[in-house]
Amino acid sequence: MFGRKIKNDGQPIKAERGTVDYSFLVLVLIILTIGLVMMFSASYAYAYYYFDNSFHFITRQLFFAVIGVAAMLVVSFADYHWLRKFIPVLLAATFVLLVVVLFMPEINYVHRWINLGFITFQPSEIAKFTIVLTYAHLISVNYSKMKTFKYGILPFGVVLGPIVMLLVLEPHLSATVLICAIGFIMMYVGGTSLKWFVPVGIVVLAFLAYAATNEEIIAYASTRLAYWRDPFLDPQGAGYQTIQSLYAISSGGLLGLGIGQSRQKYLYLPEPQNDFVFAVVCEELGFVGAVFIILLFALLIWRGFAIALKARDRFGSMLAMGLTIQVGLQVILNIAVVTKILPNTGISMPFFSYGGTALLMLLAQMGVILSVSRQSSLPKE
Amino acid sequence: MARDPGKKMRCRMIFVMLVMTVFCMGVLIYQLSVLQITDGQKYQQQAAAQQMRSVTINADRGTIYDRNGKPLATSATVWNVILVPAYIEDDEVEDIANGLAEILGVDKEEVVKRCANEKRYYELIKTKVEEETAQAVLALAERLNTRGITLEEDTKRYYPYGDLAAQVLGFTGSENKGAYGLEAYYEEVLAGTPGRKVSAQNAMGTDLDFQYKELYEAKKGNSLVLTIDETVQHYLEKHLETAVIEHNVKNGAAGIIMNANTGEVLAMATAPDFDPNNPLALGDPKKQAQLETMEKGSEEYNNFLRQAQYDQWRNKVISDPYEPGSVFKIVTAATALENGVVSMYDTFECTGSTVVSGNRFGCWKAAGHGVQTFTQAIENSCNPAFIAIGARIGGADFYEAFERYGLAEPTGIDLPGEADNAGLVQSYNNLTKEGGVELASTSFGQTFKVSALQLCSAVCASVNGGTLYQPYVVKQVLDPEGNVLSTTRPVAKRQVVSEETSETVQYLTEMVVKEGSGRNAAIPGYRIGGKTGTSEKIDLLIQTGRNENILSFAGIAPADDPQIVCLIMLDEPTLENAFGSTIAAPVVGAVLSEVLPYLGIDPEYTDEEMANMDITVGNYVGMVPHDAQSALTQKTLKARIVGDGGTVVAQVPSQGEDIPRGGTVVLYTDQTSQQDLVVVPGVVGLGGAEANRTIVNAGLNIRIKGVDSELPGAVAVRQSPAEGESVPPGTIITVDFLDLTTDG
Repeated sequence: MFGRKIKNDGQPIKAERGTVDYSFLVLVLIILTIGLVMMFSASYAYAYYYFDNSFHFITRQLFFAVIGVAAMLVVSFADYHWLRKFIPVLLAATFVLLVVVLFMPEINYVHRWINLGFITFQPSEIAKFTIVLTYAHLISVNYSKMKTFKYGILPFGVVLGPIVMLLVLEPHLSATVLICAIGFIMMYVGGTSLKWFVPVGIVVLAFLAYAATNEEIIAYASTRLAYWRDPFLDPQGAGYQTIQSLYAISSGGLLGLGIGQSRQKYLYLPEPQNDFVFAVVCEELGFVGAVFIILLFALLIWRGFAIALKARDRFGSMLAMGLTIQVGLQVILNIAVVTKILPNTGISMPFFSYGGTALLMLLAQMGVILSVSRQSSLPKE
Repeated sequence: MARDPGKKMRCRMIFVMLVMTVFCMGVLIYQLSVLQITDGQKYQQQAAAQQMRSVTINADRGTIYDRNGKPLATSATVWNVILVPAYIEDDEVEDIANGLAEILGVDKEEVVKRCANEKRYYELIKTKVEEETAQAVLALAERLNTRGITLEEDTKRYYPYGDLAAQVLGFTGSENKGAYGLEAYYEEVLAGTPGRKVSAQNAMGTDLDFQYKELYEAKKGNSLVLTIDETVQHYLEKHLETAVIEHNVKNGAAGIIMNANTGEVLAMATAPDFDPNNPLALGDPKKQAQLETMEKGSEEYNNFLRQAQYDQWRNKVISDPYEPGSVFKIVTAATALENGVVSMYDTFECTGSTVVSGNRFGCWKAAGHGVQTFTQAIENSCNPAFIAIGARIGGADFYEAFERYGLAEPTGIDLPGEADNAGLVQSYNNLTKEGGVELASTSFGQTFKVSALQLCSAVCASVNGGTLYQPYVVKQVLDPEGNVLSTTRPVAKRQVVSEETSETVQYLTEMVVKEGSGRNAAIPGYRIGGKTGTSEKIDLLIQTGRNENILSFAGIAPADDPQIVCLIMLDEPTLENAFGSTIAAPVVGAVLSEVLPYLGIDPEYTDEEMANMDITVGNYVGMVPHDAQSALTQKTLKARIVGDGGTVVAQVPSQGEDIPRGGTVVLYTDQTSQQDLVVVPGVVGLGGAEANRTIVNAGLNIRIKGVDSELPGAVAVRQSPAEGESVPPGTIITVDFLDLTTDG
């Protein structure tokens, strides 16, 4: 209805558009470039050994990066309000895909991927965007009533609940945690009364209490926890990846071994192009390089929040913030896992980890943020 | 209603942003600083340990040369054959196993089994194969087109002269490390510095050749130049080994030749020996035969083998102190002269035995030597006389002499395993004890033990002008390029006797060989000094009741200007008539007769020796008989013409052979008479004159070896050709003479 209204104003679309937040755009492009270079560096030995082609991963990733940047720019020109129309479709598609994925063949005992032959993707990636978009919409619509249960909790729970259940069935713990965290933060910022988080906490505790009565779950959780605390309990098995990651990070030292000089990527670190790519970054670029990249992400988050703060309306604000939080949380959780602050889950590193569709979607989402930034100079509604 | 974010929303937003960027990222950066800066060491090392492969490159050991640069121990490159099962396809296994079994002689099944470890990158199949075999293995790998067989460089020790100086050189054990002898003593000099190839490997164990490759070149070891002369060593060993066999020496033999004026060891030998190329194999065929009677692998077998190995590796010259017997009388005589307690004109009476504090000491000659001068006493090796001389020296001074001669402490030679005999010599208290029994037995070389090396050094000091030198075997250390790094200078330890005393001792030892018990060591043309020794193994007798002897002889040449001293000892020879004079002296004589000319010490014949010298037969074939006879007469030879022809068609002995002055050359003037043969008479056991007559009367010629056949005690002990063989007239019969009348 916003779109219609603007169109009804009869003003030329071009004139309505302000300029994008260039610092955000530049940060995205810098991080993307560094990410591509480091992913290539981390992956080529693995690619050479398993695919006889050092460029196996980078060529695909580059392809998606180019399309992704194009998509980002195209989306940045679009009016983000337009996205509201897709909410019902997206919600439906998300549920369908999350159900479909459960019938996909297992990969490592979990059902997370849908393979369409020419492309594979995780429905959970779509679910994240769906949640951000839906919540942004709900918050903008229910803004004044957010303190109430009916408007501040119920609709959010109705959307999040089934998605979380489906994710648990995959099972995909890290995506569950991430989506819940994004959702809760958006609700908190959107104005949901903190008191409603109390019953949520009770539900979580009840769930944990149930889990505590189940010996199987206890055993599973306690071993996972034990291997997290001390991966050297099983250096060739459960602790292997964590140990190899720590080796890589420590080998980097202050200044790193130099770009391309990682040793851990030579088949020690399993799939160095995926979730643990940052370990190779630490090894090659050292503490200085790692901190530099973290600071780039901090800047990106800052710019993302700045866009959200300056957004023309609450929908745009929540949308930009939700997407920024998504990227920020993924970065934080990924590095926390790689550095053994958190147990090994399975969260990829935005812009760095290999994954074409994920990168494409990520860049498109960055395009949405840029689109929000473009309208911030317009008069507030 | 404003649709932009409200104030509360903004606050919450800024709060979330700060939590993410400042708190969360702060935690991440803190954790990174811990891992990468403060606590990174441990993980870094563990990472390096899994990433780095360090391959040791063996350094070539230095060479051991004899004094003239002949290589006695060298290192050469050999190859280890390695399987890389990870690179071996299942269908290749059969061909690889067959090929390797054929080339290397390894068990085929074993190779198949090793190939099965598909995750492994290193299976050692055979070590130290030579170049040729390695080439064959490479050819096999090429033919099968497999990456699964590789070679690894290694080094191996070779001893080109086989068992020569085996106990001195020693050998190398596992990892090319010196295990015995010089190889062990000079390990640090010879070993060099192993190189290292450090390379990064991936998790599968494959080298990442393109990075982190560091090569530390192996540094070849330094080389040794010995004082030992290969030729001299060879002569000594040859005669020592022959003596061991000839006299069925049960407990081995030791021999040493030293430069009397420097302490350089020219030769040092222990028999039986072993081949350092294969040190575990028994070098003594008798022990090997004994071993083969035992059940292989049994405890008895293993113990016997181990003991025999240790025995054969032992350098008897330095490791086995023994009772020196009468050879020690050189030291006693020198000390008595130096201390001025005897003069050359003193006389000593021998009645065949003497009693000291109730202990009766017999002389080897039961009838006694009667009244003898000091010179005669040493010529006769008379025990009662030496007991008297020892008593004149006195226990305290005798003990002091022991110390002065370095007989109570190791010589300090640069070889491992030198025995410390400090507990094996008579103590000061014993020597000075009332009654003088220990002093008496010590005077003639019994009831204490010294090593052959110690005794040889002491003899050198007694005759070289009086200086005791520290013996040594390494003359120079060379770097791998052959530059001299260090040269050993002779170390004069101290003056043990005056030059005058030393000169007198020279005279005395020469008289022993000229007139006395050392006659069997005499060599025409040379002035040889020496002293015999026959010692009883008293401790063995007390412990087991077995009565065994050690026979020894120390030879000094030339006696008037000693250059070398040669000492040999035979431990437990079997012979009824076992004396040092009859067994050990001829061995030293034989050694010196070859060594002296080799060392450039030329013979100088006396007129008497010239008269006794053999005449070389010329060529008379083609001459008319009378011209031939005239030519022979000119040479003081006789001619016997046989046959009816007018020209000499054949002669016996033939041209170039040596026969004694006055010998007969048979000249044949036709073919038929050459078929007349004579039967060789037996002369073993006869005296010189009788043996000579018997052979000449048979129409044959005699060639005399060993001692002067005109000596009253000379007896023929061996002849060749043997008694009863048929030979042409004029054939030379070689007869060995020994003087069996004396000893000491």
